[in-house]
This record gives sequence, structure tokens and C-alpha cells, in this order.
Amino acid sequence: MTEKTDLTTRKESMLEKRQEIRRAIPLVDIYENDEEILLYADMPGIAKDSITINVDNGKLEISGIRKLQITGTASWQEFGDIEYRRVFSVPQSIDVNKVNAELKEGVLKLHLPKTEAAKPRTIQISAL
Amino acid sequence: MWTRVSDIDRMFNAMDLFRSNLDRMFTDDDRFFGEDFGWRVVNGAPRTNLYDSGDKLQVIAEVPGMSKEDLKVRIQGNYLELSGTRSLDAPGGYKAHRVERNMTEFTRSFTLPSEVNADKIEALLRDGLLTLVLPKIEAARPKQISIK
Repeated sequence: MTEKTDLTTRKESMLEKRQEIRRAIPLVDIYENDEEILLYADMPGIAKDSITINVDNGKLEISGIRKLQITGTASWQEFGDIEYRRVFSVPQSIDVNKVNAELKEGVLKLHLPKTEAAKPRTIQISAL
Repeated sequence: MWTRVSDIDRMFNAMDLFRSNLDRMFTDDDRFFGEDFGWRVVNGAPRTNLYDSGDKLQVIAEVPGMSKEDLKVRIQGNYLELSGTRSLDAPGGYKAHRVERNMTEFTRSFTLPSEVNADKIEALLRDGLLTLVLPKIEAARPKQISIK
């Protein structure tokens, strides 16, 4: 019985607060032309270092965690720390080595170039 | 045997991590339920936070894809107005597969909990977040009372 009272009376010297990070799906625009697939994703508040872009086995995964720099107590709070994550299927015709990404003003711009073999070709007609 | 509340809490923490890893093993078809989208305009304006740290206020707003030219901040007394436009950066010569991000124009106004010193406001735009630091006027700051 003594142990039970222990649970309620013991002083918590280092009380841990469990921080729940909400997950969110970034909104995207996807465009394509003959050369590449172009993807825009809105990820406000995310730093360059905290974004991970993975292309593996026909899946493209974008993820990142946003941590807000906060001083003071919240009078109102409509958004908080968040984990962005979204997975797309990408065609095998993407040249994984040439994928490049830019981050500007909280918008991720991802260029997914197509492989040479996947680009449309014009066939010359040879006249006899 | 757990004797401390934090032990139980820690256990839940580990379980959460496990669950989220487990989620990744399955298909992503059902992920839309119960999750919110990253950015959207709520009631015609971006989401904001307001923090009060005694001698100053801090306002943060989510404004992805907007440059500092696209945004306008006006202040009068304790009335703050935030407006902006976002134009879509749709590239020419591309075929659109999916367009979820929208162009928008918004104005949002706030009544701040105290008057602020309009000359000393700092506004910083970084990674799609606009942060305003608004120092309170002298009369609105907390004062130390000395006890005799």
C-alpha cells in the first residue's frame, strides 16, 4: 500500500511533457512537360536542413518537421509544430540522379527530369 | 511497475513512435482521414499565432510563396492589419496534373491586447513565415512594484 501513495505524493522533479507533433499533408501542384516533372509544395516555416526528399522504388517521399521559434505565452495559436509528409508514385522514367530541389519562401520546388529514353523523340522520315 | 506519471507518459511516447512507424508500412490511401493539410487560407486569411512576452508581442503568420513585396503590414494603435496577394507561379509550357495550391488575396485585421510602439516594429519574412515583433508602449508594460 505504501507504493500506491507514492504515486500521488512524490514530487516530480523533472516532469516530462509529451509533445505531440501533428502531421500535415503539404498541398502540391504538379506540372509536366517533355523534359521533366515539376512539383511545388507549400511548406511554410520549414528550414532547408529539415526537409528530406527520398526517391526509392518508384515512390517519392517528401517529409520535414517544422519547429516554431516562440517567445512568450500564446494568446492565440492557430498553428504549431508540424510534421509534413507526403508520398507520391513517380514513373520509373525519372532520372533519380538529376533530381534537384529549391526551397524559397516556404515553397519547395522539385525538378524531376525524365531519362533520355523517356523523352519524346522526333523521327526523321527519310525520303527514298 | 511504474511509480511516476512521467514513466507512463514515456511509455506512451514510445508507443506513438511505434504506431507511426507501423503506419508507414501500410498503404497511404487512408492517410487523408484525421490529418489536416499543410497550408490553407482559413476564412479568407492565413493562420496566425500571437504570443505575449510581457514587454512585447509576437505575431507569426503562415505566408508561403509570398515575397515581402506581396505583403503589407499596417498598424494603428492596437489595430494591426495584414494583407497580401499570392500569385501562382505556374510555369509556361507545362501540362498541369494537379493543382491544389491556389492563388489568393487576403486581408486580416487584429485587435492587439495592448497598444504597441509603431516605430519599433520589426517584421521578418523567413521560409514562408512572417514574424512581427511589436514592442508594447511604456504604459502597457508590466511594472515592478517595490515593497517597502
